Amino acid sequence: MGGVWLIRRIAAAAAIVFAVVSITFVAIHLAPGSPFLPPPDRPLDTAVVARLNRQFGLDQPIRVQYVRYLKNLAHGNLGYAFSRGQTVRAALATTIPDTLLLAGTALSLDLGLGLILGVVLAARARRATDVILSNLTLFIYSVPAFWLGLVLVFVFADWLHWFPGGFTNTPGLYENLPFFGQLGDRLHHLALPALTLGLVGAAGTARYQRAALLETLGREFVRTARAKGVRERRVILVHALRNSLLPLITLAGLSLPFLLTGSVLIESVFSWPGMGRMATDAVLARDHALVSGIAMVASAMVVTGSLVADVLYAAADPRIRERAT
Amino acid sequence: MNFRVSLLAIGALPLALGCSSSGSCKGDYCGTVVFVTANNPKTLLPPVIDNTGARDIDEQLFLRLADPGMTTNTIGDSGWVPRLATRWEWDDPKTLVFHLDPRARWHDGVPVTANDVAFSFDAYRDPVVNSAARNSLTKIASVTVRDSVTAVFRFKEQYPTAFYDAVYQMWVIPQHLLAQVPRTDWLTAAYGMHPIGDGPYRFVSMVPGQTLELVADSTFFQGRPHLRRLVWKFVTGSTVAVNDIATGQADAIDFLGSPANIDLARKTPGMSLVPYPGSNYMYLELNTRANGDSSEPHPVFGDRDVRRALTMALDRQAMSTNVFGSYSKVPPGPIPQWWPIWDSVRTLPFDSAGAARLLASRGWRLSADGFRSKDSVRLSFEVIFTSTSGARQAYARLMQAQWKSVGVDMQIQPLDQNLIQDRLSSGKFDAVLQGFNSDPTPASGIVQHWTRGAPDHYSHWVNDDFDRLVTQATSVASAKQSKLYWRAALNIINADAPGIWLAAPDNVAAVASRIADVRLRPDSYWALAWTWRIPADRLIDRDR
Amino acid sequence: MTTRPTIALVGALILAMGVVELLRLRARRSGSGRRFFAHRPAVWGVRILLFFTVAALLAPLVAPYDPAAQPGIVTLQNTPPSWAHPLGTDAYSSDIWSRLVYGGRVSLGVGLLATLVAMTVGVTIGAVAGYAGGWIDSLLMRLVDVGLAVPRIFMLLFAVAYWNRIPLSILVLLLGLTGWFTTSRLVRAETLSLRGRPFVDAARAIGASPTRVLIRHLLPSALAPIIVSAVLSVGNVMLLEAGLSFLGFGVQPPTPSWGTMVADGQAQLALAPWTSFFPGLTIALVVMSWNAVGDALRDAFDPRPEHA
Repeated sequence: MGGVWLIRRIAAAAAIVFAVVSITFVAIHLAPGSPFLPPPDRPLDTAVVARLNRQFGLDQPIRVQYVRYLKNLAHGNLGYAFSRGQTVRAALATTIPDTLLLAGTALSLDLGLGLILGVVLAARARRATDVILSNLTLFIYSVPAFWLGLVLVFVFADWLHWFPGGFTNTPGLYENLPFFGQLGDRLHHLALPALTLGLVGAAGTARYQRAALLETLGREFVRTARAKGVRERRVILVHALRNSLLPLITLAGLSLPFLLTGSVLIESVFSWPGMGRMATDAVLARDHALVSGIAMVASAMVVTGSLVADVLYAAADPRIRERAT
Repeated sequence: MNFRVSLLAIGALPLALGCSSSGSCKGDYCGTVVFVTANNPKTLLPPVIDNTGARDIDEQLFLRLADPGMTTNTIGDSGWVPRLATRWEWDDPKTLVFHLDPRARWHDGVPVTANDVAFSFDAYRDPVVNSAARNSLTKIASVTVRDSVTAVFRFKEQYPTAFYDAVYQMWVIPQHLLAQVPRTDWLTAAYGMHPIGDGPYRFVSMVPGQTLELVADSTFFQGRPHLRRLVWKFVTGSTVAVNDIATGQADAIDFLGSPANIDLARKTPGMSLVPYPGSNYMYLELNTRANGDSSEPHPVFGDRDVRRALTMALDRQAMSTNVFGSYSKVPPGPIPQWWPIWDSVRTLPFDSAGAARLLASRGWRLSADGFRSKDSVRLSFEVIFTSTSGARQAYARLMQAQWKSVGVDMQIQPLDQNLIQDRLSSGKFDAVLQGFNSDPTPASGIVQHWTRGAPDHYSHWVNDDFDRLVTQATSVASAKQSKLYWRAALNIINADAPGIWLAAPDNVAAVASRIADVRLRPDSYWALAWTWRIPADRLIDRDR
Repeated sequence: MTTRPTIALVGALILAMGVVELLRLRARRSGSGRRFFAHRPAVWGVRILLFFTVAALLAPLVAPYDPAAQPGIVTLQNTPPSWAHPLGTDAYSSDIWSRLVYGGRVSLGVGLLATLVAMTVGVTIGAVAGYAGGWIDSLLMRLVDVGLAVPRIFMLLFAVAYWNRIPLSILVLLLGLTGWFTTSRLVRAETLSLRGRPFVDAARAIGASPTRVLIRHLLPSALAPIIVSAVLSVGNVMLLEAGLSFLGFGVQPPTPSWGTMVADGQAQLALAPWTSFFPGLTIALVVMSWNAVGDALRDAFDPRPEHA
C-alpha cells in the first residue's frame, strides 16, 4: 500500500485536529468572560491563578497567548477545570475510560446485532419477516436514545429489578468481590446503557447492511454463483457478505460521532461517570476550559476513528490498494 | 465431552467464582453502609464546607467538644454528650472551661490538644476563611489554652445559648497540619480532599463526583464503631438517588422529598422509612439590590410593596401539597418545623386579586402580551437554583405559572451548586430558590441568615428593628420571653418580604432494615452512624 | 374533551388522510410518484407528518387546554389518561395532549427551520466550492472536514455554556450552522460532475453569470439528492433538539417541547409513566415518518433494488 498515501492521510488528520484546536482557542477568546479563568467572583487558589497566568500568559497579547496555548497543548496541559478542582487533563483521565467502555460495548452490540439483522432482512427481502422487522428497525432507529434509556430503566430496573438503574458498579460491594465478581458487577451495570446505545446503533447498521447486501446480491458475480448452482444460503453468506463487509469497517469508524453524542445523553440518564456527563455538568457550571477540552478530545477521537477506518478499509480492499500505489 | 456442554461449563465457572465474595468479616464489627446523595462535596475542610454532603462526612471524621443529645436542646448544656471534652464547668458566668479527653488522637497519631481548639476558633473566626459559622461566634471574646488538655472560653456577655455557640459551631481541626497552609488557599487545599481527623472514622479515598470511603477507627477512644465501612455515593440528582435506594444499590438516603419517592421507598423490600422533625425550609430569596450592582436598588425587588404583592400572588399551600403531598407545611417565616416559634405570626395571605391591585398601584401596568411593565421596564426576573434538586425545579415551574397569571414574567435558570454560591456571594442574581438546613436553634439560624451582614444573607435587606429584636431574642434567659421577641421579629420580616417562605418539609429518610440501633439525630442525620450496627445474622455480601 | 377541539382534531385527521389521497392521485402519473406511494411506511409517514403539522399550526383550535395552564396543582396532577385528559396530566396538572400539540410547534418548527438553514448554507458552500475550484474549494472543504470532526452536540454544548439561556432563534441558527457539512459535500460532488458538461460551457459562452448557471442548470439536477438529504436530516435535528431540551439546554419553560416533556416526566417515571412515554413516542413516530419518507423519496428518484 502506498506509504505516501498513508503519510498524507495522517497529515490531513493532524491538520484537522490543529484547525479544531485553533478554532476552539478563537471561540474561547471571543466569548465574554476571561478565557481559562473562572468568573472573577469564584474564589480560586491564588497559587492556581498565578500558575494559569504563567502558563497561558493571560495578560499578554493574543499572539503570545496562542503560541503558549499550543505549547501547553503539546505538553498535554489543557487548563484547569475549576468546577472539579482538578486539571482538565486529570478530569478527562478519570472519565474517558468509562465513556470508552460504554461506547466500545455499544459498538460491539451495534455491529454484531446490526450485521445479523441486516443479513436476515436482506435474505428475506420483501417477504413478511422483512416488512415487519424493517419497520421495527426503522422505529428503533428513529427513537430518541434517551427516551429508550428511560423506558428500559422503567421496565428492567424500577419494575422488574433485574438491572440497576445506573452507575458503573455497586460501591460498597465492588471492592470486596473477586475478579470475576467485579467483572460480573460491572457487566450488570453496563448492560442497560450499552443496550440502549447499541440497539439504536444496530438499527442504523442493519438498515445500511440490508441496502449494501441487496446491492451486492444483484451483482453479476453473485448471479454467476447462483447460476453455477451454489446454494442460496452459501451465496449470501460467503459471497455477498464478504463484499459488503468493507463498508462495515467504515461504519465502525463513522459510528464514533454517534456514540460520543449518545454518550452525552445516555450517561445523563444512567448517571454514568463518563466524558458526556462531565460535559453536561461543565456546561451547568460554566466551566469553559473543561467544555472546550472535552470538545477537543472528542474531535481528536472522531478524526482518529475515521483515519483508522480509512486505513483498514484500504488494507482490506485490493482495489484501493492498487490504486494507491 | 460434547463441545456445547464443555462451553457451558467454562461459561459457568466464572459465575460460580464470582458469586462468592472474598470478604471474610464475621461477627460484630462488620458492615458496610452506602449513603447516596446528590450533594457532592468540593472540600471536606470543616470551616469552609458548604453543603450537607460534606457536613455528613465531616461528622464522622471530626469531633466537636460536645454533641447535642436527641432533644437538641440549645439552652444551657442539658442533654449534651461529651465528645472531645469529657467535662466542663463555668468558672464564672462568662468563662467556660473544657477538659479534653487525653485519649483523643488525630488519625496520624498526634494527640489532640487545647492548642487545636484555640487554633480552630481562630480559623473559624477569620474573615479570610469566611466560615459560615463566623457570625455565630461573635459573642465569644477569646479561647485560650490553660494546659494541653484544658481550653478556656471567655464570652463578652452572659446569654442562654452560650454553651451551644461555644460547642456546636466548630469541629476541632488539627493545628499541626493546617497552621502552615495559607488561609487564602483553604478552599482548595489538598487537605480538604484528603482530611485527617480525630473522629470514629478515618478517611480512605474519594473519587470526586463519584464515591467516598471511610473506614472505622478501631482505636477510637469512645469505642470502636460496629460498622466497618461507610461509603458515600454521589449522584446527579434526587431522582437517581431514590432509584438507587429502590434497586438496593444504596442503604440510606437522608431526604426522600416527594410523596412519589416516599412511596417508592416504602415499597422497597429491605428499606425502612424513618421520619423525623424537619430541619430544612425552602424559600425564595429576593435580591433587593440590583443584579451585579449593589449600589442601586433592584428595579423589581427594591420596592417593598412589589415584594409583598409577589408573595400574595402565590398559593403556597397548594404548591406545597403538589410537591410534598402531606409531608410538608408552609412555614410562617424562615423557620423549619423543629424550631418552637411557629405560633401566631402575622403572614401575608394568598390573594391574587389583591396582588394584582398592589402591583398596578406601584406603576406596573399590564401590556398587550399579558405581562406588566413600568416606564418600559418589564416586570421580569430570573430565578436560579441547583439543577440537582427535583423539588426546586418543580417549585420554579409552579411559581412561574402562578405569577404569569398576574402578569409577572419569571425566567427559570438551573445552575451548578458552586456557580450559584458564587453568584450569591457577588450579588449577581435576581432571586434564588434555596433550601436551608438549619441548626437546632433560631439563635444561630436566623442570625446567620437574615441579620445585617450575616454570612448566609444575600438579599441585602436591612431592618434595624428586626436586628434589634433578634439580638434581644437571643439574649434573654427565659424561653417564653424569647418567643415573644421572635414573634415580633418574624412579624417584621414577613411584612417586608425579603424572601418568600415556601415549605418546611418533614424529613423522611430511608435506611436499610438490616441495620440495627438506627437513630437519626435531627440536626445531622447520620451523626450517630458510629453507634449503628448490623447483627451478624443479617450481614449481606457487601457487609463483609 | 370539549366539542371544538374534538372537531378540530378530527378535522386535522381527515385533512391529513385526504391530502395524502390527493397526492397519490397526482403521483400516479409519474414513475417516481408511483414508486413513492408503493412504500407503505412512507405513506403513513406523510399522513403522520401532515397530521402533526396541521395540529401544530392550528394548535389554539386543536388543543383543548392552554399548555402552560396549571388548573389544579393539588387535585389534577399526574392523572392517568381519561376522557377529560386523553393523554393524562403531568406533575403540574397541565394537559399532556395540549402540550404535545403546542410542543409540535417548537419541535417541528425548530427541525424544519434549522434544516432550512443547514440546506441553504450547505448548498451555497457546496456549489461555490464545486464551481470555483482551486484554493476556494480546498479551503471550504477543509472547513467541512473540521466541521465533521467535532461531534455536533459538543459544538452546541460549547455555545450553551456561553449563553445564559438560548433564545429560540439562536437555537435554530446553531442547529443549522452545525449541520450543513454533509450537504455541502453532496452538492459539491454534483456540481463537479456537471461542471464539465457542454451545456455549462455553452451557457458561459453566451455570457451567463456563474450564479445564473448554478441556479438554472446545476441545482435542478442536484435537487433530488438535496431533498432526500434534507428530509432525512430533519429527523436528526429533531432528535438533537429533543436531546438538548431533555438536558435542560434547549427550549426553556414554560414553552413545551417534546424533549422537555420527556425530562419533566423523568422524576415520576414510576408513578406516572405516561408523562414521559407519550412525548417520547411522538418524537419516535415523527422522526420515523421523516426517515420513511426520505427512504421512499430516495427510491422514487433513483430506483435500485436495495432501496425497496
